[in-house]
Amino acid sequence: MVQPYLKVEGLVKRFGPFTALGGVDLEVYPGEVHALLGDNGAGKSTLIKTLAGVHQPTEGQLYMEGTPVNFRSPRDASAAGIGTVYQDLALNQLMSVTRNFFMGRELKGPLGTLRMDEMNQIAHDEMLKIGIDFSDPTQAVGTMSGGQRQTLAIARAIYFGAKVLILDEPTSALGQVQQMGVLKTVKRVRARGDIAIIFITHNEIHSRLVGDRFTFLALGKVIGSGVAADISDKEMRRLMSGGAELGDLKQELAEI
Amino acid sequence: MADLSESDRLQQETWFQRTIRRPEIGAFVVMIVIIFALLIMSNGKAFNALGLKNNIKIISQFGIIAMGAALLMIAGEFDLSIGSMIGFAGMSMALMLKWGLPFGLGEATPFLAFIITLAMTLTLGWFIGTVVVRSGLSSFIVTLAFLFFLRGATEVGFRLINKSTQVSGLQDFKQESWFADLLGGKVFGWFYDIWFAIGQFFVDQGIDRTDQWFTLGGNLNRRGTQWVDGFDARFLWFLVISAVAYFVLSRTQLGNWIYATGDNKDAARANGVPVNRVKIGLFMFTAFCATMFAACQVFDTNTADAAKGNLMELFAIAIAVVGGTLMTGGFGSVVGVAFGAVTVGLVSNAVFFIPTIDGAWFRVFVGAILLAAVFANERIRKRITGGI
Repeated sequence: MVQPYLKVEGLVKRFGPFTALGGVDLEVYPGEVHALLGDNGAGKSTLIKTLAGVHQPTEGQLYMEGTPVNFRSPRDASAAGIGTVYQDLALNQLMSVTRNFFMGRELKGPLGTLRMDEMNQIAHDEMLKIGIDFSDPTQAVGTMSGGQRQTLAIARAIYFGAKVLILDEPTSALGQVQQMGVLKTVKRVRARGDIAIIFITHNEIHSRLVGDRFTFLALGKVIGSGVAADISDKEMRRLMSGGAELGDLKQELAEI
Repeated sequence: MADLSESDRLQQETWFQRTIRRPEIGAFVVMIVIIFALLIMSNGKAFNALGLKNNIKIISQFGIIAMGAALLMIAGEFDLSIGSMIGFAGMSMALMLKWGLPFGLGEATPFLAFIITLAMTLTLGWFIGTVVVRSGLSSFIVTLAFLFFLRGATEVGFRLINKSTQVSGLQDFKQESWFADLLGGKVFGWFYDIWFAIGQFFVDQGIDRTDQWFTLGGNLNRRGTQWVDGFDARFLWFLVISAVAYFVLSRTQLGNWIYATGDNKDAARANGVPVNRVKIGLFMFTAFCATMFAACQVFDTNTADAAKGNLMELFAIAIAVVGGTLMTGGFGSVVGVAFGAVTVGLVSNAVFFIPTIDGAWFRVFVGAILLAAVFANERIRKRITGGI
């Protein structure tokens, strides 16, 4: 079997007396979309922030390609190949697509000058690879649609060496057409075969459309996981609502 | 494909549309209007040999400090201590030149006085910047504190060492020191040589031009030599600082960091931009600009005064805004700020060329264009971000 790019073993994260994550195991494989599902407060955010180096685990160990790793900062995580695309995308609206693409990692010539033509070309090509033909990378990000911005942020993470791409609710706050655009982008990245994707979502339909493997979180614990084929729609719905049967909920509602 | 058709919705812009979208366009139009209005109302006097020199002097003064203020504003911060920093730097240099180096280290040369002062102002700039980024307080309030602090310290320093809040009658250092001449002397003398040569040519041809633009007549002193022999050295410094600011902002990595810091500093930080270092560096840059302003003044006039630079921080910010810099940061143009400096400089001097008007109209005008510029900038920002 293929070795997982990223393996999480017994991850515990406590904030004072509060246990945000109570022993999470996770494996993500290259060329796969690993859908991470769970309700609000299930610990999804804490988990990805720990993977991204923002938080340090209280217990447990992360492995990149079999080697134990410790991320002390987001910089460590990104150097190790974890690319996180947060909901706010970390983009600057007033700056051009190219300037955003290379923000903080500009291509420099002599005297710190920007190699602007080269950067424009790269930004254009990298976005084209995952599905947007953006003719003018000198225009401001503020003029782009939400879906296009998502693509820009993903293309940027990949170009700067992400082997594990963490997408934090990439389809939320988007219109239907743009959501599909983002899912297509996710599929294209998956088709490269060398990148593992962690896809965080609330949306059962979206995760079904692109997910190869599922992990369900509730109250900081994994309550279910498996490959797509092994999980029935009914089981999925049950796990997404934190393990409660929909029938139970119906009954509870009826009692009010 | 859905995404492709979406980007097609964005209109392909013509050259003209691109031009009117530039941040400096408003400042450019206002500048042209002012130049022509002044030309007509002063019967050309504002741009004769002496008028041009005097106008460029004040434009350069405004321009030097506005560049510092504008770059800092693009990075999302204000500096209200610029004016007091000018007073402080002027005091520091003048006192060293008059009373010698501190701790009895002997006579101060212009170069030493400048370097020691610059070291102090840069340290102050670093300190102000560090307080702002470490405390997370608004730079408005932190630099307001330094506005009072530095002005007071300047006055106290003057009284303690000099017994009076002004120094006058320093020797004319630019006669001997090339360094003082570089800051307070004359530059671009060739410009006026050519100017008067053209005038002489007209006279030699028997074409007597009386409008005193080109003729020597209006520009000869009693000994018969021309007395407008170049621009003030601050013009050179204005050009140098502007050129460097333009290059850094639009062509370098640091420029990208400045924009990124001012636009959304969390996004910038998440992408590895050293946001705090950028801000501290720019507070040091405004301190540098204030020091250059003061140095040019001290070596040009051989005087210093505790009140020098008063209100200059507000003019610097006003010019930056008139030049198209957004109050909220992340957007602005060095070229626009240069246009803004020309506009405000010309209007502040206009009373000398049009004696019939009340000089106080200058501030009325600055207030009016400032307000207009804020609205115009907001419109530009909305156009760029697609109305968000």
